[in-house]
Amino acid sequence: MALIAPTILVLGAVIVYPLLSAIYLSFFSIYTPTLEGHFVGLANYRDLLGSGGFWSALVTTAIWTVGTLTLQILVGVGMALLLQQNILFRSLARGLVLFPYFLSTVVAVLVWRWLFNDLYGILNQMLMNAGIIAAPVNWLGAMPNAMLSIMVVGAWKFFPFVVIAVLARLQTIPESLYEAARIDGAGPVSRFFDVTLPQLRDVLTIVILLRTVWDFKEFDLIYLMTGGGPVNGTRTLPLIVYNQAFGLNQMGMAAAYAVSMMLVMLVFMLAYLRRANARSEADSAA
Amino acid sequence: MNQPERNPLRRPVTRRDTLRVLAGSGAAAAAALTAGCGSKDERTTLRWWSPQASPDQLKAYKAQIAAFEAANPTIRVVFEATSDEGYPAQFATAFAARQLPNLVTHLPSFAAQQYYAEGLLEPVDDVIKAIGIDRYFAGANEVYRTSDKHYCATGIGNTAADMLWYRKDLLAAAGITAPPATWDELRSAAQKMQRDGIYGAALPYGMNAMTSLIFIGFIHRAGGQVFSPDLQVAIDSQPTYDALAFFQSMREFCPTGASNFSWGESLTAFVSGSTATGIYSGRVLANVAAQNPAIADAIGCTTYPTMSRDIPAWTYNDFPCLLIPKGAPHLAETKAFAASLYQPQLYAQQMHAAPGHVLPVLRAVADDGFYRANPLITRYAAEVDLMTKAATAGHNLGQETAAHKPNLKANEIIASNAIAELVQRVVLNKENPKAAVAATAVRLAELMRA
Repeated sequence: MALIAPTILVLGAVIVYPLLSAIYLSFFSIYTPTLEGHFVGLANYRDLLGSGGFWSALVTTAIWTVGTLTLQILVGVGMALLLQQNILFRSLARGLVLFPYFLSTVVAVLVWRWLFNDLYGILNQMLMNAGIIAAPVNWLGAMPNAMLSIMVVGAWKFFPFVVIAVLARLQTIPESLYEAARIDGAGPVSRFFDVTLPQLRDVLTIVILLRTVWDFKEFDLIYLMTGGGPVNGTRTLPLIVYNQAFGLNQMGMAAAYAVSMMLVMLVFMLAYLRRANARSEADSAA
Repeated sequence: MNQPERNPLRRPVTRRDTLRVLAGSGAAAAAALTAGCGSKDERTTLRWWSPQASPDQLKAYKAQIAAFEAANPTIRVVFEATSDEGYPAQFATAFAARQLPNLVTHLPSFAAQQYYAEGLLEPVDDVIKAIGIDRYFAGANEVYRTSDKHYCATGIGNTAADMLWYRKDLLAAAGITAPPATWDELRSAAQKMQRDGIYGAALPYGMNAMTSLIFIGFIHRAGGQVFSPDLQVAIDSQPTYDALAFFQSMREFCPTGASNFSWGESLTAFVSGSTATGIYSGRVLANVAAQNPAIADAIGCTTYPTMSRDIPAWTYNDFPCLLIPKGAPHLAETKAFAASLYQPQLYAQQMHAAPGHVLPVLRAVADDGFYRANPLITRYAAEVDLMTKAATAGHNLGQETAAHKPNLKANEIIASNAIAELVQRVVLNKENPKAAVAATAVRLAELMRA
């Protein structure tokens, strides 16, 4: 017991205490600057669940998460497959592909907002010069453009994580599997779906789980790109938590939103654990 | 058999070596830090926050700090920049964590009123007395008056934040001889000037504080108000529908990206020459001089047009103020430093750092030759005088007219984006204005009750 005490203390300080604090705060009406307030029981949850804002933001959060995650996986796996080939400057390319992941979100957003700008942005200029559009497109101020734009920026920012994980796994797939597939007459597409993808299944499950949780609670990128607009088109749950806590100074309600978000993410976590347990049992049986 | 002596420089580095080096480095760093403690700055430190922190303004603040520190060798002042959109969060966390700055400047008056009402600010009556209330413009501090007969803050400047900026050359080319004075004239002018890649206007339609703050002015310019003088929700009225209709009709004369405009984008659109008119404060002057001097002789400003000539102008002044958080240490020193910021020459230099943008609240400084000798203030004397006059008579949601009671919820109403959302629902989503305004009225009532 004494040996694991430090671990328990650290986990208690950085996970259990903040978690219990958030749950505790969610039962109070609290003015953020003074942290003073009074007990309101489940009133915050009643108001939250009864408001259209929560459900609308939950749907928006789900759309953003699914959209950007899908792009990240597609681009990430594609890029990992490319970097696995014997291409020129492969080492350099493997290093450069990590660049967006290391870049500060604030800097990345500034650059992308500039690219999307209707008056000076290169994106609109290029499309107009190519004759694809006649007038600048409102990338961030109209729907569904704003949602699509933040999905693309999110995918650009976070796909390197997928690349790292998938590339590491690709390097451990035995070459004999591909040779056997070739002997059996499998082409590149068949080899991908029948050899590569099954081998990537475990790592992709982990990547999807982690990125789902991280994308679900993404705040800074969306806040800086659109602020949640137009209207509430990109207003995800983390933006509401921030506004409740620091705009409206209602820390109790913000905590209720945060706890609700945690419960939604818990569903993903339980699904993952169940799947992991089932797989572990299957491996043991084999 | 003797092992040959190994060259220690060739010996491979082991895990133990690495740990030794790390331990040694740690001990050396700890020793250096301990030694440093002996020579640490013993002066009293005052922290000063402001969202106004352009390079020129920082230079002016440094001069003010240096002068105060020279007169008070036991005190040092540290400046920390905040932001217009981010200060509510920074303030909330600073208060909650009890990590308070000693002095904050350039926050809007309605923020000061709210924080004071929550018991978070010291009254600054002593500071105003030390500066001399007679040195201010008449009534300059009334907006900071509290229900307990104190001052929650004092003005550090004035800002006429929603002036109509126009291009004289483009007006002339469109055959317009005088700047627009009504909405119909403005719309017509914008239509005529919109050509060759130049848009007519730079109104904001974004989901942010600027849209809320600017649109409140349009409700007043239609003869309406957001709240009645006794703070009942009054937004659901014909003037609000008129203001929405005007905003909607102007959308086609604004850049495509105006639906994401905040202060920076709106300012840049006019300064860069992308729009023929702009809506902003005197910051335009310095930015045009620095970034687009080719149009410097062609710009002018007036108070933003109203719906009709019989409705008086309404100028948005956020009344940038100086306030002192309650609970921060060294109160006497803080008040002394606060008063020192109004030393005429240094105060004028602070105004020079953003000429026409932050306008003086001290009458003597506004008329002083040193202040007026600034090249931009000299060049645009008529515009600066007009902005000074408009700002002095200006208002904001914290006190919509002189007859209104201070609205202690104004800060949270702006932060909620409820009014910006109204604009977006009607203009961008084409929702029914009556339904959208009714929903906003309910939302405002909820915010007032919260």
